[in-house]
Order: sequence, then structure tokens, then C-alpha cells
Amino acid sequence: MPRITGVDIPNDKSIWISLTYIYGIGRHTSELILKEAKIEQSTKAGKLSEDELSRITQIIDHNYTAGGQLRRQISQNIARLRDIGCYKGMRHRKGLPVHGQRTRTNARTRKGPRKTVAGKKGVKEQRG
Amino acid sequence: MGRSLKKGPYVDEKLFAKVHKRIESGSHEPIKTWARRCTIIPEFVGFTFMVHNGKMFHKVFVTEDMVGHKLGEFSPTRVFRGHSSRKVVTATAAPTPG
Repeated sequence: MPRITGVDIPNDKSIWISLTYIYGIGRHTSELILKEAKIEQSTKAGKLSEDELSRITQIIDHNYTAGGQLRRQISQNIARLRDIGCYKGMRHRKGLPVHGQRTRTNARTRKGPRKTVAGKKGVKEQRG
Repeated sequence: MGRSLKKGPYVDEKLFAKVHKRIESGSHEPIKTWARRCTIIPEFVGFTFMVHNGKMFHKVFVTEDMVGHKLGEFSPTRVFRGHSSRKVVTATAAPTPG
């Protein structure tokens, strides 16, 4: 199986889809990369030659941040916000939504599973 | 929504003048301000601002990382002291639930 950008090992699907297994590369970017490398989108990833693979790797390295590097960049950006003590950083620290969404209801993605509080309205009815 | 690049960053003029005065005189005493909407520009680095949050002034020491943010981002307007601990009350009042 071909190996592109470190640990990512896309399987034997067409290369266009395989590339999207790399973090930070979606179908659109994948298409652009293949166009630049002049590789047919529908070629199976396993059937690519060494040369073609290195061309893809080179294009990604030069023009895109992807994989672990992108992850590191994102977490660094968040760490920066946390360190300077701004509002966004505080929301990150508290695990609450950052972009001004409501938290009275919803916001479950950030807040995680519901924690039921005893004695609050609705709990008694639930017990029946 | 971001601000139009054409306009450049918003900087409160009075605050900017104050900072300039301090730079010239070399003093670093804190600047009291209500201009929460003012963008922090590189000239502000190293100064301490007292940023109003509607009630009191928060001391904000500006570092290089803060450039590009607004002063108000560093002076929270809401205080969350946690939810009331009614857990304890209900636990003692009703030890056997249901």
C-alpha cells in the first residue's frame, strides 16, 4: 500500500478518494493535487508508480499543510488563544462553544453528554 | 463577519493618542479605557490597560500575541460562579429518591 505524508496509508480505492484519507485533504483539494501532478483521478492508489507517488508527496509538501502538521498547527492556534487569556481562549478552556452559540439548550457537541442535576425542574416528573 | 480590509483595523483615536504620549514620555503607567472595541496594534505591546467591562476595570498587560485582538476580549463582561449547589440540599432532604 502506498504511503503518502507520513503515516497515512490510503487503501486500494481510486487515488482521488484515497488522498482524502489524509487529514486536511478533501475531495476538492485531492482533485487539484491530481490535476497538478497530471494523474488520472480514477487510477487505483495501489497501481501508482514510485514517480507518481513522489510527485503527489511533493505537491502536498509544497502547497498544503496536511496530516500531523495541520493538527499541530490547529492545536497551537488554540493553545495561543488559551495562553493570552482572551474570551475565545476561555471558551476553549471551559469546553463551551466559541463562536457565540446559545448554551441554554443544545451545545451538546462541546459540552458532552447531559449531566442531570437533582432537584432541577423536570427531574421529578422523569422519576414519575 | 470580518471587517473590510480596505478600512484597516479600528483603533480608538483618543486611546491611540494616549499611548503615543506615553511612548514619548517613556512612562508605562496603566491607561484606563472604555474602548473595548479598539484593536490592539503593535504599538500597544508592553503597555498595561485598564479595560472597562461595564462594572470595573480589568488590568490587561498587552503581549505580542495579543496583537490583532480587541481590548474587550480580555475583559470578561459576565461572571459565572457555577450553579447553585442544590445537590447538597436535596441529598439531605430526600435521602431515598423515588
